[in-house]
Amino acid sequence: MWLAVVGTASMAAQAADIAIVVRPDVPVNNLTFGELRRLFLGDRQFWTSNVRVTLLVRAPGAHERDVVLKNIYQMSEAQFRQYWIAKVFRAEAASGPRIVYSNEMAVDLVGGTPGAVAFVDADQVPKGLKVLKINGLLPGAKEYPLH
Amino acid sequence: MSRIVLLFVALGLGAPSVAGQTMDPATKELIDRLLARIDGLEKRVAELEGAKAPAKPVVPATQAIHETHERPPVSQAVTAEAAPVYPSLKIAGFGDIDFSATDLHSAATGFGAQTLLSPHSGFEEGQFTLHLSSALSSRVTMFGELTLTARPDAGTGSPPAPGFNPEVERVIIRYDLNDYFKLSFGRYHTPINYWNTAFHHGQWLQTTISRPEMVQFGGSFIPVHFLGSLAEGAIPAGGLNLNYEAGMGNGRGQVISRGGDFSDINNNRAWLVNAFVRPDALYALQVGASAYRDELNPLTAPAAREWIESAHVVWHKETPEFIAEFANVEHRPIGGGTVSHSQAYYAQTAYRLPWLQKLWKPYYRFEYIHVPKSDAIFRPVVPTFHASTYGVRYDITTFAAFKFEFRQYVRRDFPSFYGFFGQTSFTF
Repeated sequence: MWLAVVGTASMAAQAADIAIVVRPDVPVNNLTFGELRRLFLGDRQFWTSNVRVTLLVRAPGAHERDVVLKNIYQMSEAQFRQYWIAKVFRAEAASGPRIVYSNEMAVDLVGGTPGAVAFVDADQVPKGLKVLKINGLLPGAKEYPLH
Repeated sequence: MSRIVLLFVALGLGAPSVAGQTMDPATKELIDRLLARIDGLEKRVAELEGAKAPAKPVVPATQAIHETHERPPVSQAVTAEAAPVYPSLKIAGFGDIDFSATDLHSAATGFGAQTLLSPHSGFEEGQFTLHLSSALSSRVTMFGELTLTARPDAGTGSPPAPGFNPEVERVIIRYDLNDYFKLSFGRYHTPINYWNTAFHHGQWLQTTISRPEMVQFGGSFIPVHFLGSLAEGAIPAGGLNLNYEAGMGNGRGQVISRGGDFSDINNNRAWLVNAFVRPDALYALQVGASAYRDELNPLTAPAAREWIESAHVVWHKETPEFIAEFANVEHRPIGGGTVSHSQAYYAQTAYRLPWLQKLWKPYYRFEYIHVPKSDAIFRPVVPTFHASTYGVRYDITTFAAFKFEFRQYVRRDFPSFYGFFGQTSFTF
């Protein structure tokens, strides 16, 4: 019973794609994977001249964070922390990403913060937010890169 | 995901006797981890609810009825909570404690104190560094870096006793127009060199104990600090991600290891350009080049025009890590005389071992500086040598490390020597 439950939960988590969500007024619909990486590395800091990017990242332990660290950053947890400490220390960013503790908190903050971008379980994206295409693909597509 | 975990644990708690009879250690550990996570989530929910509660205004019933028709969607209601607060001061710190033992039996002749070269073995307090950053608005940001550095002559009395030397290493105010153009003013680490702008005074950030001698703090080969203005930006450039910096400032002071912090020493500003690419196709690769121009009026040598060209190649990952830089410094005496070219380079590689929880990273660095006899400005202050550094870094936690090094120096005009060095460095 225990093993069955663990297995089901694990398979469900692994099967879910991770969606990149923004507010509908963000003037971007599609990103290449390189652009997505620059966004999450903090190298791209503006959507347009008037809208600054606010990066929201799940707290350690979340499956969504593991997927993003593995696929986008290609870093371990320790490397990720060192990366942002160094980036702030180099004066390239005033602060690191804002930490969110659940998908619900992530989508609430994206909805309420101009320019915010977050990654959430694709099954938990509420109406009213825009899911960005990655390389022209939405979550669920065969070649979608975040799962 | 949290709902799945809650369901999972609820099922487990509902059948404790069965679980208790058949549970293996791995399952028990899993349950403990999940319970700990639930505790954390519950604590977080309580914190969030507690934080929201005091801010909730008391609304009269009539107004409440009115608001039910005008209340913004949830996403807008969150705006006030998510809105940034200015200024948003954040403070971080770095520190290091060092040990050195060498067979150097005389003065270090050109090597600065930061290299930890001394005829005596012993411990040394490295630098205590405070880093401050604060967003003043969505487009304006301030950065500062302050250090306290142990020196043999920074104390009071005569002769001066050992003490600590305070320094404003960096103070920068930057206006961000967009990703393509940012303008700043302040005191920088001169961006004509990768190491100088990648690690600054955070010894914990760099793999090794010491910086390469060509960018050593207190060294003279390149101007480590720069006071003035800098324009910078990044252009996608078809996936190449071209970054640029162009600056103008005071250049070197009369003591050439120091910047012109209090006005320039002549009427010729120094200028620099720096560009590098980080191609999408080769994530972790950075290739760049810089140029720097100044007029020097040193205390102990004739005035000269200085022209520096440099280049770097970096592979940012740790399996392997690779950094290589080269710089050529031309000194052309203004009153006529021999034009000299001094060169320096280093190549460093490291590899994060896949075993032992990936905590160990051995490394090696070769470095070289050559100053011709015709260079009257560098000859008294920059050593000609080559050196090999063999070391290992052990990350005791995510935010602290031990490093151990063996270095071997071969000098042109002085005896060769070697040394053993240890360091613990950290961020907080």
